[in-house]
Amino acid sequence: MSKIFPNNKYLNKLFKSKKPLIIYKVKNGYDLLTDFSHKIQLDNKNIDNFFSNILHLDPDKEIFDGYVGFFDYKLLCNLIGLKINKKKSDFFNKSIFYKPETVIKIRKKVRIFSSLSIEYRENELNNELKNYEENIFYHKKNFDINYSLENFKEKFNFAKKKIIAGETYQIKISQKYTNNSYINPIEFFINLMQVNCSPESFMIRDENYSIVSCSPENLIYKKGSKITTKPIAGTIKKNKLMDITLAKKIFAENKKENKEHNMIIDLERNDLSKICKPGSVKLKNKKLVEEYKDLFHYVSEISGEIKEGVDIKEIITAMMPGGSVIGCPKISTLNIINNLEDSSRNIFTGSFGYIKSNLDMRFNVIIRTILNYKNSIEILAASGVIFDSKYKNEYEENFIKAKSLMDLFKL
Amino acid sequence: MIYVIDHNDSFTFNLVHLLALYDDVVVSNYKKIDKSYIKKSHLVVFSPGPGHPKNYTETISLYKSIKNNKKILGVCLGFQIILYSEKAKIIPKKYIQHGYKSNVKVNNLSLIFKNNTTFSVANYNSLKLLEPFKSEEINITMRDTENNIAMALENINKNIFGFQFHPDSFLTKKGKFLVQKIIFT
Repeated sequence: MSKIFPNNKYLNKLFKSKKPLIIYKVKNGYDLLTDFSHKIQLDNKNIDNFFSNILHLDPDKEIFDGYVGFFDYKLLCNLIGLKINKKKSDFFNKSIFYKPETVIKIRKKVRIFSSLSIEYRENELNNELKNYEENIFYHKKNFDINYSLENFKEKFNFAKKKIIAGETYQIKISQKYTNNSYINPIEFFINLMQVNCSPESFMIRDENYSIVSCSPENLIYKKGSKITTKPIAGTIKKNKLMDITLAKKIFAENKKENKEHNMIIDLERNDLSKICKPGSVKLKNKKLVEEYKDLFHYVSEISGEIKEGVDIKEIITAMMPGGSVIGCPKISTLNIINNLEDSSRNIFTGSFGYIKSNLDMRFNVIIRTILNYKNSIEILAASGVIFDSKYKNEYEENFIKAKSLMDLFKL
Repeated sequence: MIYVIDHNDSFTFNLVHLLALYDDVVVSNYKKIDKSYIKKSHLVVFSPGPGHPKNYTETISLYKSIKNNKKILGVCLGFQIILYSEKAKIIPKKYIQHGYKSNVKVNNLSLIFKNNTTFSVANYNSLKLLEPFKSEEINITMRDTENNIAMALENINKNIFGFQFHPDSFLTKKGKFLVQKIIFT
C-alpha cells in the first residue's frame, strides 16, 4: 500500500471508503481517528458550552475522552475580541471538532481501540464500499496566485510604513495559491509524508471537504501542568550546496533572521506568562536548526508551569492565533493584517489538535496545508516583514513554502 | 501591589511575570484603568506597546494625576509616555531595529545605578526621544553606547523611572536586577 503505513486489511478498506477520518502524526507513527459520534461546528456562541462539555467526558468510559479538530483564523480572532469584515473567498470560515469512537494506533503494528464492535465496524465499511465511486482527479496545470509581485509590493510597502510608525515590529503577509480540483486526501497525505513527514502533520477527510497538512510547527503541547510551545521563525531555502552545518552558520550570522526570531521568542514567552506561574516560563531550547524537504527552519522551545485554575478558553486565547504566523505585537498587527489582506485566511494560521477532559492538549499551527472544499483548492503561505526585509525575497519565500504542496499535484 | 497598565502589547506579560517574583501584580488595559487598584499599589507600571505615545491619552492623564504621589515605571512606550507628558518630542529612529541587543551605559546623573555601568539590553522601539530635551524634573540616566539614544530616565524625588529598553526580554542579561532596583528604591 505504501511505505508509511503497514499493510493492513482493515486500514486499506477504511482508506478506500469515504468514511470521515483524521490521521495525526505522532512520534513513532500515526494515530487514525474515526467513527465520530459527535461533530460540532464551533462559533462564538456555542464555544463555551463546547469547552465545558469536554470536562465532563469520563476517561474511564471513553475510548477517547476528548475532541479532535481545528479552529479557523476568524474564530480565533473573534475569541480575542477582534472583528474581521467579510473578505474574498470567505468560504471556509469553519471550526470543526469531532469525538472519535475508534482510535487506530499505526506504528510497526496496527492496534485498534474502539467502543464499537468489530462486526459493526466491518459491516458498515462493507456497505460503504458497495456504493463506492471513484472521483476523477483533475486540476489546472498552474495554480493561480492572489497577488502579483506588484500587488505584493504595495502590501509590503504599506506594512513597512506601519513598522516605521511603530504600530507593528514584525508582520506576516500571506499569499494564496488556488486551483480547482477534487483530491483523494489519503493519497495526497501518503505522498506528502513520503517526502515531507513533518512532526505536526495531519489529514482530515469529511463529506464535503478535506485537509492535508505537513505542518512543522507545534503551538501547544500540554500534559498535566506542564506546557510547551515550539515557534518557528526563520527560513533558508535548500539547494545542493546547503547542508545543515552551513544552514546553522548562515542563521547564526544573519542579523535579520535573528531579530525576527528573537521577537517571536519574547512574544511566546509573553503568551505563556499569561497562564503560567511566575518564574516558571523558561527558554528551554534556543535557536535550533531543523531540516525539511525544501528548506531549513529556525526553531526554539519555551516551557512553563500552568497556574492552578486556568481553564481551556484561557489557554486557547492566550496562545492563539500563534504569534509566529501573525507578527507582533499581536493585537495591533492582527488589525493591520485584517485590513491589508484581501482574501480570507480561512483555516490558515488556525490550529489543529485535541483537547482532553483533563485539559491535556496538543495543537499545531495550520501552515503548509491544502484545503479542499467542494472543488476549490487553496494553499496559503506567509512570510515575516520587518524593517530590513526585501519584498522580492518575501514573495519568493512564500512560494518556496507552498511549493512542496503544489508539487503533489504533478505526481 | 504593583499595578500594570497594558497598552495591548505582546511583551506586557513578560514584564508582569518578572514583577510577580517580588509582589502581587494586577494588570488592566489602558482603556479600563481602575482607580481602586491605583490606590492600593505602591508602583504603577506603564507597559510597552505599539504606536506613538500621543495616542494614549488615558495613560497620559493618569501620569499627570499620579506623578506626585505614586512610584511610576515606564517601559519602552511607557518610557516615551512619561517623556511625552513632560513635553518631550518623540520621533522615528533613522534605522529601525526590533529584537536586537545593544549596550547601554549609566551616566553620572543616575542616583540608583552606578556611574559607567554597562548593561546588555533588548530593543523593540521604532521611536526615540528628540534631543536636546530640557526638563527640570527628569534626567536621562542611561544612553546607548553606539548612537547615544536616551535609554533610561529618573526623577528620584518624585519616584519616576523609565527604560526605553526591555528588562523583560530574554535578550536582556540583568533584567531581574534592573527591575529590583526600581521596586526596592
